[in-house]
Amino acid sequence: MPKRILLAVPLLLVAGISVAAEQKAESTAALAELPMFHFGGFGSLGVSHSNLNQGDYVLDSSMPKGVGRSSDWWAGNNSRAAAHVTADFTPEITAILQIDTEYRTDGSYAPEVEWLNVKYALTPNAYIRIGRIALPTFMDSEYHDVGYSYVWVNPPVDLYHQLSIPGSDGIDVTYRSVIGEAGNTFKANYGTNKLERPNSETTSKDMWGLFDTFEYGPATFHISYQHRKTSTLSYLTGTSGEWTQNSDLSVGASYDPGEWFVISEWMQRRSTTKIGAMYVSGGYRIDKFTPYLLYSQNSPGSFYAYSTPPTASARVRANRSQSTISLGVRWDFMRNYDFKLQYDQVKLSDDSNGYLVNVPAGVNLYGNKFHVISAVVDFVF
Amino acid sequence: MFRNYLTLMLLLAVSAFAATANADVVVVVSSRSPIKSLTAEQTAKIFLGKVATFPDGRMALPIDLPEGSGLRDEFYTRVAHKNSSQLTAYWAKIIFTGDGRPPKLLPDNAAVIKAVARNPNAIGYIDKAAVNRSVRVVLKP
Repeated sequence: MPKRILLAVPLLLVAGISVAAEQKAESTAALAELPMFHFGGFGSLGVSHSNLNQGDYVLDSSMPKGVGRSSDWWAGNNSRAAAHVTADFTPEITAILQIDTEYRTDGSYAPEVEWLNVKYALTPNAYIRIGRIALPTFMDSEYHDVGYSYVWVNPPVDLYHQLSIPGSDGIDVTYRSVIGEAGNTFKANYGTNKLERPNSETTSKDMWGLFDTFEYGPATFHISYQHRKTSTLSYLTGTSGEWTQNSDLSVGASYDPGEWFVISEWMQRRSTTKIGAMYVSGGYRIDKFTPYLLYSQNSPGSFYAYSTPPTASARVRANRSQSTISLGVRWDFMRNYDFKLQYDQVKLSDDSNGYLVNVPAGVNLYGNKFHVISAVVDFVF
Repeated sequence: MFRNYLTLMLLLAVSAFAATANADVVVVVSSRSPIKSLTAEQTAKIFLGKVATFPDGRMALPIDLPEGSGLRDEFYTRVAHKNSSQLTAYWAKIIFTGDGRPPKLLPDNAAVIKAVARNPNAIGYIDKAAVNRSVRVVLKP
């Protein structure tokens, strides 16, 4: 219910503001020449194949099944679409609504409100937003589902699988500044989130974060720190877990002078266990083709020395350790479309089933290697 | 008939080549604007929406040419080191997170000059050959 109220706030604001916008249009001739509404969208259509038949390879923990055991070839990891509208009511007040469809926890492709917020520009270089807002946890997390915006088939799974909270229902503030030739964007947010998983639902509250992106020429640096309290309701037992403290720290850097690029990110999550992940990637642009390489890994969830000794099954659940070597190519074959082909070799660590789901009870795939091949067409309009 | 067609195609090809070969892009503001010069980095920041103001703090209103325009491709390649698909990918990130919108579009050089000349906050890029007294060149990338 609170979530509904929060989403209703931007809608009411929009209704009230559109009247005010009429009166103010004259004084803002510069921007008034842009149409008030801007429609757009994006999507990806693709399939992937895994040679492992005892477990499913998934991109994030909300997916009930993936490619591998459930199906040899599967479109759910690589297919999604979204429609977007931006409304510029005045130069200061903008609203966005974005509805997306992708493979959901309940096995459907039901459309959902991905983003809905109202933005108010305090100054030309600072704004505040209220509503459902994307979180810049990692360098590509705000647009992790916009395939056209990055070179890979998906943002590196070993790290982005940790992106359990893509957005926040709440408020954020952005401040842009120029320091000599360098540019800086600082964001701070406060909000809540509810995330469904196949057998549970995790509520996050008192969620706050600080995010900074610094750009100097072709170099970009990103650092973020987030904190939240989470409680997980198990659908199987009907009981909620206690509120636990979570904090995420991540650091990233990229260098992209145009013809080639390198990018790397690192993150660490502290909750009941401590988990880390990183990746490093690079590519070279040859006309319309961008071949690239990627290495990523995550570390086992380690328990703190002072905490209660974990049960054997908790220890196994916490350990999702795996590493991936990927090579692929992006082909910008026509305006607003790309085609990508990627080969991943995933190596599970010696004591873990990695991020695999639907592994039959009693089966352990520790130390296994398997590959995933993905082909996808991305588009924007 | 066939020969006429061939001649026409050849003429078109030559003129298309000439158009790209001669297109020398320059960045302009109104001659009434106090801005005398900008660096490529400052210009890129304005056109990529990373900053909403000129270095002196005045509001900046960047004006784009349509996708597919040779001048546009040349401008973004030289100033922002992005080809047209890199630029589309960049804006996809901004638009679909609600962080902003690309600059206003005008159809050609003439329309850009007219708009820039009229508005001291405007900034555009045009063919060097089209520069007249109503605008001031602030960057030759």
